[in-house]
Amino acid sequence: MALRERFQAYRKDTRWIIGGLAILLLALSLLYYLTQRGKDLPSELVTNRVLLFVLWYINLTLILAVLFVLARNLFKLVMERHNRILGSRFKTRLVATYIGLSLIPVLLLFAYGSRMLQGWIDRWFDEPAIQEVATQGHAVAQELFRQIEQTALRDTGRALLEIEEESPRNPRRRPQVQRRMGQLLEELDLDFLAVYDGTQFVHALLNPQSGLEDLPEPGERFLVEALRNSQATRMVSVGGGEERLVLTAVAAAGDGDVLEGRTLTVAGTLIDADIASKSRQLIQAYQGYRQLEVSKSRIEAGYLLNFLMVTLLILLASSWVGLYLARQITVPIQALAEATKRISDGDLDFQVEVDADDELGVLVHSFNSMTAELQRNKELLEESNLELLMSNQRLAEERAVISAVLQNLAAGVISVDEEGTVLTCNGAALKMLQQEESDCIGRPVREAWSDPERGKLAKLFEMDAGQSRRITQDFRMMLGDDWKTFEAKVTTMQDRHGMVSGRVMVLEELTELVKAQQMAAWSEAARRIAHEIKNPLTPIRLSAERMLKKHEQKAPDLGETLEEGVELIKREVEAMKSMVDEFSRFARMPLPRPSEVELEGFVDEALNLYRGIKPGVEVTARIDDDAQSARFDAEQIKRALINLLDNALDATEAPGEVSVAVHRHNGSLEINISDTGEGIPPDAKEKLFLPHFSTKRRGTGLGLSIVHRIISDHHGTIQADDNDPQGTIFTITLPQQ
Amino acid sequence: MFQSTAWVLTAFLFFGSSADKPYMTEPELVIDGGRAVVSFDLVGGFTEELFEQIQTGLATGFTYQFNLLRDHLRWADNRIDTSELQVVAMYNAVTREYLINYKQDGKLIDSRIARNREELEQAMTRIESIAAFVLGHDLNPDKRYLIKARAKLGSRTIMLLIPTRIETDWVTTRKFRPPATEP
Repeated sequence: MALRERFQAYRKDTRWIIGGLAILLLALSLLYYLTQRGKDLPSELVTNRVLLFVLWYINLTLILAVLFVLARNLFKLVMERHNRILGSRFKTRLVATYIGLSLIPVLLLFAYGSRMLQGWIDRWFDEPAIQEVATQGHAVAQELFRQIEQTALRDTGRALLEIEEESPRNPRRRPQVQRRMGQLLEELDLDFLAVYDGTQFVHALLNPQSGLEDLPEPGERFLVEALRNSQATRMVSVGGGEERLVLTAVAAAGDGDVLEGRTLTVAGTLIDADIASKSRQLIQAYQGYRQLEVSKSRIEAGYLLNFLMVTLLILLASSWVGLYLARQITVPIQALAEATKRISDGDLDFQVEVDADDELGVLVHSFNSMTAELQRNKELLEESNLELLMSNQRLAEERAVISAVLQNLAAGVISVDEEGTVLTCNGAALKMLQQEESDCIGRPVREAWSDPERGKLAKLFEMDAGQSRRITQDFRMMLGDDWKTFEAKVTTMQDRHGMVSGRVMVLEELTELVKAQQMAAWSEAARRIAHEIKNPLTPIRLSAERMLKKHEQKAPDLGETLEEGVELIKREVEAMKSMVDEFSRFARMPLPRPSEVELEGFVDEALNLYRGIKPGVEVTARIDDDAQSARFDAEQIKRALINLLDNALDATEAPGEVSVAVHRHNGSLEINISDTGEGIPPDAKEKLFLPHFSTKRRGTGLGLSIVHRIISDHHGTIQADDNDPQGTIFTITLPQQ
Repeated sequence: MFQSTAWVLTAFLFFGSSADKPYMTEPELVIDGGRAVVSFDLVGGFTEELFEQIQTGLATGFTYQFNLLRDHLRWADNRIDTSELQVVAMYNAVTREYLINYKQDGKLIDSRIARNREELEQAMTRIESIAAFVLGHDLNPDKRYLIKARAKLGSRTIMLLIPTRIETDWVTTRKFRPPATEP
């Protein structure tokens, strides 16, 4: 592993961070312990110059470390912002916040704390009571020693005068001198008395009550000083304890430079051990206070350096931790921002590689999952797109084929969307409707076919096809000066949710077919009429020939034959007239004149004609609440109804039922006439409404044709279906708009 | 505000402090057999603050530092040997005596008693006939040598917490040739 990678790994390793913080904590604890112990340490150590320098260099190192950490990170931030690295602004804000949060309070605390510390030290030294006690105590002790010295000097001077009178340098006067010295020890309360000739020892005497065991040795320097200055004092320790002996020396008058030949008296006065001890303690206490006073600046510096060191350690730790935390947040976010940019540029393979086990780690993981999912979706989308393209291509080809087929179809094909806007209208439809493409394509059906005749198409599109989704209807339209007959089949298209997605109408022009059917029907009618007319003609011709033959034979029953013949001819002519009248009525059917009709009375009136006529056949009616009234030509519809009821009753054997049901469906009035008869054969259903088609042995075949004609004139429809379980059901639909 | 503070600090560091800066007189050198004996005075080193500190009973003193250098005409002199003389004074407030100890390279070589300030100042600042170096066999009698000396006078603090050393500039003795020693 390269050194740099190993270093990066160490940096990322949380154990190092925790270890570093633990060491820092330990250092702070140790520092705190030393500070606490420092109270008990001698002032010399606290104010030690070496310690101050060590502390200062530690602080200097820490200052440099803090500056380095801050400068390095600020430089990196500046460079990142300069290079417009993604996330650098956020990182700058975060780092500035962290550093600000750690730097400002710590520095403020240091400023405030150092000021307090300084004030505390100043107050300590400026305390007048302590200063006064120390100074006065020292002065008292010094004054006591001075007074003892002065008294001792005075006594020594007196002793010198007394001893000088005894000629101490004369060896023969030694006993007198010694006796005199003993007297002086007692008189002056001295503990020791010695006589010198210059620096040469002559006599010495100890006060036996002093407790001194050995003669004190003043030392030549002391003697010389006394000879030069006429007097001298010294304070020496005796007995190895607290006892102090004040040595005072007074020299006889003479030239200071001449040491020999001059009498010198040295006296010793013991100071009480207790007084000496207390005085020494007072002096030492004062000195201790003065030592601290002269060390004040160093004490201040020592405490401030300690405080600064703690501050810097905290600052370094908080800055470091702050930067570490900022990095912990910004690095994943930067990586995420970079990844977002890469992904927005289309690199969906990019994955964020950040070691984080917190919420940011979850975010990174989720981001990577999302990216992978995006990549998968993109691939699926591309595959789908390709399939879609191919599908579209196929569809376009199929559409072209369908379009070609539609354009070449003889039937008209019209499609509308779910909103009723015309989508397609093939050439055949345009030709049938005598319209241009621009007249209808892209327009709502009511706008495309706004005139009353073409409006029938619009109504067909708007009709609800019900469950079957298909409507088949024949209708006629006056286009130009001609009536046209069409058959329209409307199919409703549904999407996979069952919602209407559009409708397709296949339009077939039946004008020529109807004409042909009518021609055929009329031919059939003419043939039937001719046949029906020819049928009575034979008996008429035979009756006429019989009457002629009887007349030629002059037969006696001529009269009877004539009467029978005339009667037969009249009856046959009457039948012919009846048939011609019926046909005439069919040919002269008037246009309907609609009016508002109350249905319950209307139906009852028709049914009353048939109730009880055929025993065992029940005649019933059911009129829904929503079909209490309707608008149609009552006379014509009643004729149609009677015609149908007549047929139904005729076809139903007892026990059976003939019923009429009236209800509304899609705004139209629907009348169902059902029976439980034998039903209609399938091959007869197609010809049911053609004129002169009849399944009855003696029917004219015009009844259902008239019914069809009446319903068509009302723009309605009629159809015959098998009734369940048996019989026939005729359904009349009359539009009500 | 910041600028004015910086100027005052700079002036204090470079000018103010050098106005009364202590110094050493040029050391008198005597080659006494195999010893290089120096004498000199320290001027301005015995300040009122120093005396007050001694009066408190604190052991206070100077360190005189000596460097024996070999003289090079066109090159930096290279150091051959070093030695230190510590002069430490302690005041006994009971006996009102100043004990002055002289330690050369950590070894006590002399002690004196001073009974007043004058004696004390002289004992601490007037250094007479101190054998700074023993001129050994490793010195080349054909080469020239010199001794540099300076005094370390302690320390003080700037801006309450920055400790700085107080020391004199280096002073140099005359150049000398060590006496030839008999093999």
